[in-house]
Parts: sequence; structure tokens; C-alpha cells
Amino acid sequence: MNLDDIKQLACEEIERQGERLIGVAKDILDSPEPGFQEFKTASKVAKEFQAMGLSFEENIGITGLKAIIDTQKGTGPNVAVIGELDSLKVLGHPHADPETSAAHACGHHCQIAMMLGVGLGLQAPGVLESLSGRVTLMAVPAEEYIEVEYRDNLRRDGKIEFLGGKPEFVRHGHFDDIDIAMMTHTSASPDQGKISFGGTNNGLVAKSIKFSGTASHAGGAPHLGVNALNAAMISMSAIHAQRETYRDQDTIRIHPIITRGGIAVSSVPADVRMETYVRGASIDAFLSASEKVDRALRAGAMAVGGTVEITTLPGYLPIQSSQPMLEFYSRNAATLVGSDNLSQLGHRTGSTDMGDISQMMPVIHPYVEAATGNGHGIDYLVNDYNLGVLTGAKAMAMTVIDLLYENADNGNKVVDKYKAPLTKTDYLSLLRGMMKEETYTE
Amino acid sequence: MTDTKFLKASAWRSIDSRKDWLIDIAKQILVNPEPGFFEKKTARFVSDKLNELEIAHDSGIALTGLKGYLDTQRSGPTVAVIGELDSLRVAGHVYVDEETEAAHACGHHCQLAMMLGVAVGLKASGVLEGLSGRVALMALPAEEFIDVEHRYGLHNAGDIEFMAGKQEFLRLGAFDDVDMAMMTHTSLLGEGKFSLGGTSNGHVVKFIRFLGKAAHAGGAPHVGINALQAATVALNALNAQRETLRNEDTIRLHGIMTVGGVSVSSIPAEVKYEGRVRGGTWEAIDDANQKMDRCLRAGALAIGGEVEIVTLPGYMPLINDVNMMEMFHQNASDLVGSNNVRQNPSNVNRGGSTDMGDLSQVMPVIHPYTGAATGSGHGVDYVVKDYTQAVINPAKAMAATVIDLLAGDSDRARKVVKNFVPNLSIDSYVAMQRARLTEETYSST
Repeated sequence: MNLDDIKQLACEEIERQGERLIGVAKDILDSPEPGFQEFKTASKVAKEFQAMGLSFEENIGITGLKAIIDTQKGTGPNVAVIGELDSLKVLGHPHADPETSAAHACGHHCQIAMMLGVGLGLQAPGVLESLSGRVTLMAVPAEEYIEVEYRDNLRRDGKIEFLGGKPEFVRHGHFDDIDIAMMTHTSASPDQGKISFGGTNNGLVAKSIKFSGTASHAGGAPHLGVNALNAAMISMSAIHAQRETYRDQDTIRIHPIITRGGIAVSSVPADVRMETYVRGASIDAFLSASEKVDRALRAGAMAVGGTVEITTLPGYLPIQSSQPMLEFYSRNAATLVGSDNLSQLGHRTGSTDMGDISQMMPVIHPYVEAATGNGHGIDYLVNDYNLGVLTGAKAMAMTVIDLLYENADNGNKVVDKYKAPLTKTDYLSLLRGMMKEETYTE
Repeated sequence: MTDTKFLKASAWRSIDSRKDWLIDIAKQILVNPEPGFFEKKTARFVSDKLNELEIAHDSGIALTGLKGYLDTQRSGPTVAVIGELDSLRVAGHVYVDEETEAAHACGHHCQLAMMLGVAVGLKASGVLEGLSGRVALMALPAEEFIDVEHRYGLHNAGDIEFMAGKQEFLRLGAFDDVDMAMMTHTSLLGEGKFSLGGTSNGHVVKFIRFLGKAAHAGGAPHVGINALQAATVALNALNAQRETLRNEDTIRLHGIMTVGGVSVSSIPAEVKYEGRVRGGTWEAIDDANQKMDRCLRAGALAIGGEVEIVTLPGYMPLINDVNMMEMFHQNASDLVGSNNVRQNPSNVNRGGSTDMGDLSQVMPVIHPYTGAATGSGHGVDYVVKDYTQAVINPAKAMAATVIDLLAGDSDRARKVVKNFVPNLSIDSYVAMQRARLTEETYSST
């Protein structure tokens, strides 16, 4: 069978499974769970893997799953197709869990369905026989780097070491046998056509910050207090005052939130917690900005005569997409949505732990423009499930077929041409080197 | 027993006879304002007037100060009557010197006329003969602690050590032969014709330089270190501390930015700030001063720059001598009626500061106020309206108080001296102030 016929078999199967796949996406949409807590979502994936007759591992990085589709021909690479299990937390999102505020305001629910769709497409009779190598279906937890304090506690309890799902998968060796990885994200940028790809992303470090002061009666004896909230405010002013020092091309983003700002208005706040990212286009850029943030945090504590504990946590690395993979992918996408509906992306200032994977192996991380509203906002809704799930799955399945067809020559070439900036060992030591705990007392 | 009533009446008549001469002195000084340590014209003018009264005096003490004596040739304490030579700088004041922005927005011009008025009164025929001891007539420079950078430069050049007139007079020994001192300050109409008592804030003075690194503000802000941002962060931080200051400590944290950058297109690499930390007690001033220093360092730390913090010995809280006040109170009441004389409790703090406070740590002093002006002290509209109350009446009240003190064998002055327990000797005062000058450079790296 020729390449196009095999692709067609896979696509037809995905189309046939359309209702089921979109059903999975909508089912996950309605039970959103934030990272490392995706227990219900994981069991839905497990059920699907079982239904597909796949053997799989679960509870990787707390909630992750990994299933193998093996062509039984060992000459080809192992291609991972990834879906992310976790939701965001967005207060007031129409599909938010009223109790936890968890909400799929970033479309990850579609990713799981796409990943399953790729699996089902490749399982269509006649497809695997023409391919070599393996395909690994991965449901990875915690791509949204949120609930920093909660996750940092998981870290302190030894349940995780890194605060994102893919770094945890790497640490546990679950990318050791993977040669190539791909996933597709939904997006809501109509000016980008229907499918967009390429470009780069910011990397980041995250910070969990605790300002400590001294509580006292805010009316009766403010002079006996040390106001931790004022320390935080001064720090934030100081962070802002340094924005002029960031180069445009470094696309620095620093955006703190205060997760505890005092507990009684009549008591001088003695414990204030802040979380922030420090993002930037290059590792050097965000590490340099991170030092400026640390200075500002210390300055806040210094000014009020308090203490600040700064925990800097390794975040995500900037992404780079494999150009040879993009060539296959864009051709497949063009046959699905027309070349007029494709666009090549520039630099995006968000971050993803797919960036980490991209430092060690060839990856692609395209977008399907299936949503409307503001990403991470209350109005981010997937409207076009055909595009958001089925087309996304088809484009990836076709690309897997390109890579693994016959003796997987294309896949092997992609792997051979790739120059990894980091080995797994380098990667882990880079991340561990970013981990820093500091206590500064005036 | 000397008839002080007769002596006072004689002194007052003499002052009245020179009323226009005295008021004219005040008005001439008003229109020739000079800030502290610059009061060359003012000093020469006062010197001329002392000469006119045939009072020998030294000049050039602490650059511009004057000191003469009225000597009874009989032994007894020396009472100083003080007038302050300096003006403020207040842009836009009605009587501002357009070139220097100097303006008498605090009424010191009247003090010099009062001091001369006291001399006129005591020189009335027969008065000195009824007294024992001496009267030191003093015109002192630089009561307003301003032009901090300039004065710190004078300090570094060795022209002065302390940066205010009475501090320098004390250091130079010009108060060594003085046993007690008085002066009267103008205040607002409506605050009573005379008011006495109360205290004032002490302070330390700050001269601050934030140092960064210049760079093109458009082209390469990332290679700059913005000293103005450091100052902004520091001042925001300082403001955040205000809630920790107790009301009863009457802390005042304030300052001016004298250099805030030199070209808008260049990242400011040097920002200068002159500041003040005032408070009612040393403990309170120290506490607030530490807070200020923390905030200044925090500004430099945040931005990755440096800050030089010079803390200069400022003023001490004022203590009015109870015995001297009693005499002044009686004389003021005789002049304007007791219902026009206010007595403030000793803990009432006006919030401002005076180096008369320093003097009050080493000798008995009084520093009453005479209500004669309108507007806002140190503001553009502070203008003396009632020159009789601003010059003539306080001259009379002080002359009469000197008469009370030195009459006969100067028994009452001796009693004032005997009852006074100084907080500091002059030597220990000088040592203490000297030790309070600190220079620190804090670098974020």
C-alpha cells in the first residue's frame, strides 16, 4: 500500500471514531482537574486505552499514563504522541468546577482526544503493517505551571521533584526510549488560519515567595508590627521599576500573584505569599531577570525589616521545533485544511514543558485554531471540535505515518539530523541548578 | 533692693523711642534675605547697627556670626540674647530674592531687630547700673538646616564642622562664657501675642546619593542602572513604613530631590536627595532613621546600584527653662495682658526643629513665640504683619526678663543656673554630635 493510502485509512478511522473522540474531549471538559490531581481524567484515559486493547503504565508523575503501539519492527524510532491531562484554574469560566475553579481554559481536553485519535487511526487495519518502529501514546500531567505552593509541598514531600509533568516523565526515564515527540495544542487566534506551527516559546523559572513580618494590632500598635504585605508591595514596585532594563528580544514576562496577603484586616500582615514566573526567550535572559527579581524581593524585606524566603523552581525551557518534522506536518495539514489556512508562527511568550523535551529530541507543537476567546481567560471555549480533535488527530497520525513508513527512513533521518542541545543528564542538572532556596533577613 | 519696675520702664521707654529705627532694621533685612552661612550682608548690616549703638563685638564667628557684650562690670552670670541671621529658600515668596530664592519665610529678620531692641533697652540710662553680670548679644548664622550638600561641602573643606549656627558656636567655644540664653521667634497672629513652653522635634539630616549607570534610555536601557528608580523604590518603601511610626513620637520623614537625572534621554546615574528624620525623642529618631536607611539601601539593592548615605548631626529637642519662662511670662503679661499670653505644656511639640534645642541641652534657655505673622510658616505667604508685636514687644519682654535675671546681684539668674541640670556638658555635646556623623556606602553587589 502506498503512503497516501495508509494515511487515508488512518484518517477514515479517526473520522469514524469522531463521535467517541469528541465525546471524550467534552467529558474531560466537564471534569477539569489541575496538574498532579488529574485522577478522574487519568482513569478516563485508562479506560480508553483498555478499550483500544493497549498495554499501558499509569501513575507516572502521579497521574500520567503511557501506552505502546508497537509495529513489531524494531528498525524505526519511537514516536511519542502526547496529550496533556491537566486543566487550568480560572474563576468564572463557564466550564469551571464550582468547587475548585478548575477549568479547561487552555483546551487540554482536546489534546487527550487527539492523542487517542492518533492511536485509533494507527490501529486501523492495514496501517501498522506498513510502518516500522513504535508509537507511544502519552497522557502527561501538569503542563500548566500553577499552584506553585501546593506543588512545592508535593516536592518537599518527595512526591515530585519538578513541578511540571514532562520534566517528571523525563526524570522517571519515560522519555528514555522516545526518539521523537509531538502534540497539538488548541488555539484561538483566527488570524493564524486553521493550523499553525513552528516558532519559539519563552522559558521560565517559577518562584514561591514568603514574606515574614511580625503581627500586631494594626490600629493599636502598628509600630510593633513588621508589615509583610508592605514588603511584598515594595518588592512589586521594585520589580516593575526594572522593566525598562529588559531587552525587547528577550520578551521577559514577570507576573506575580499574591496567594496570601494577610488574614485579618485589623492585624498587621505577618505572612504574605507570592508566586511568580520569570519568563524569557532564552535561558540566559530569564535567569538574568530572575536575579533582578530576587534583588527586588530582598529589597522589600530589607525595607520593612522583615524576612523573605525565595524558592526558585526550575520551570520550562524555550521550545524549538524540528524543521524536518514541520515539513511533513505542514504538507499533511495542507491536505486537510488547505495551504491557505496554514501559518508559520513567530515567538510566543507563553511557555510549555514541551520546550524541555525539545532540548533533547526533535518535537513539534502545532496549534489547531478551534477555540474562541482569550487563552487562560473565562471565555476560552473550543467551538470547532472537528478541527480541535479530529483534524488535529489526523494531521498528527499522517505525520507519524510519514516518519515510520516502511523502514521509517524519514523518522530515522529526522533523528539523525537533530543536534540535541542537552542530554538527559545535562537537562536534569540544568534544572536542578536552577533550584534555589534563599532566606534573606534584614 | 533694686527697683526692677523702674529699670524696666526705663528700658521700655528707650525701646519705644527707637521703635521706627528697630522696625526699619527688620524690614531692611527682610528684603535682603540670605541663607545660612551666606549671611555676609546681613551680618555687616547688624554689625553696623551694633556699632551705631557703640557695642563692641566679634564678627566672622562660624563664618558670619556676631557676638558683643553689655557688661555691668559687676560679677554675675552672662545672659545671651540671640537673633538668627539666616533666611530660608522659598521660591515664590512675596519677599523672595529672585536670584537665590532666599526668603525670610520664618521671620528671622525680626529676631535681629529684637536683639538690637534688647540692647537699646538695656543701654537706657541707669539700667545697666542696676544689674550684675553680662549680656551677650549674639547674631547667629544658619538656623534653618538647608543647603545640605553645600554645607556638607563646607564641612569637608574644613570651613565648618557642624552644619548649623548654634552647633558651630558651641563647638567654637562661643557659648563657653554664656550661662543662659533666650530668643523669641515669630509665629502666626491668632496663636496668642506670646506663647511659651512646649518642645520641638530633634532630627538627623540625610545627604543621599543613589548611584547607577548611565546608558541611552531609548537605545540601551538594559545596560543602564537607573538611580532614579532606586530613589523611587526607596521613597515608596519609606512611605510604606509610616504606619509603624507612633503619633506621640511626632516623626517627620521628608526631603527634597536635588538631582533627579540630567538628560531625559540618559538613564539617571546619580540622584541626590536631602532628607530629614525628625522625632520627639532620640529613641524615636534613631528608630525612624534606621527605617529610612533600610529603605535607602533597599532602593539600591532592588535596582542593583549603590547608595551613599551621609547622616549629619541635626538638632536636639528643645527644653524651655521653667524659671526663665516664669519671668518672661510675667513680663509678657505686663506688656500685652495675661489673657494674650499662652503657656504650653512642656510636651507640646510643634513638629519643627531648632538648634536652640541643642543649646537647651547644655544651658537654661527660653524660646518663646510672638504672634505677628500671617500665612504658613516656611510657605510663600508667611509675612510678618504686626511689626510692633514682631519686634518691639518681644524686645521689651526679653529686656525685662534680662533685668529680672540680672537685677541687683543677679540673684534670679544665679538661681536659674543653680536649678538647671544640664543633659550634656558642652564638651560632651560636641563629642556626641561629632559621633553622630556617619557615612555609609551600600552596594547591591
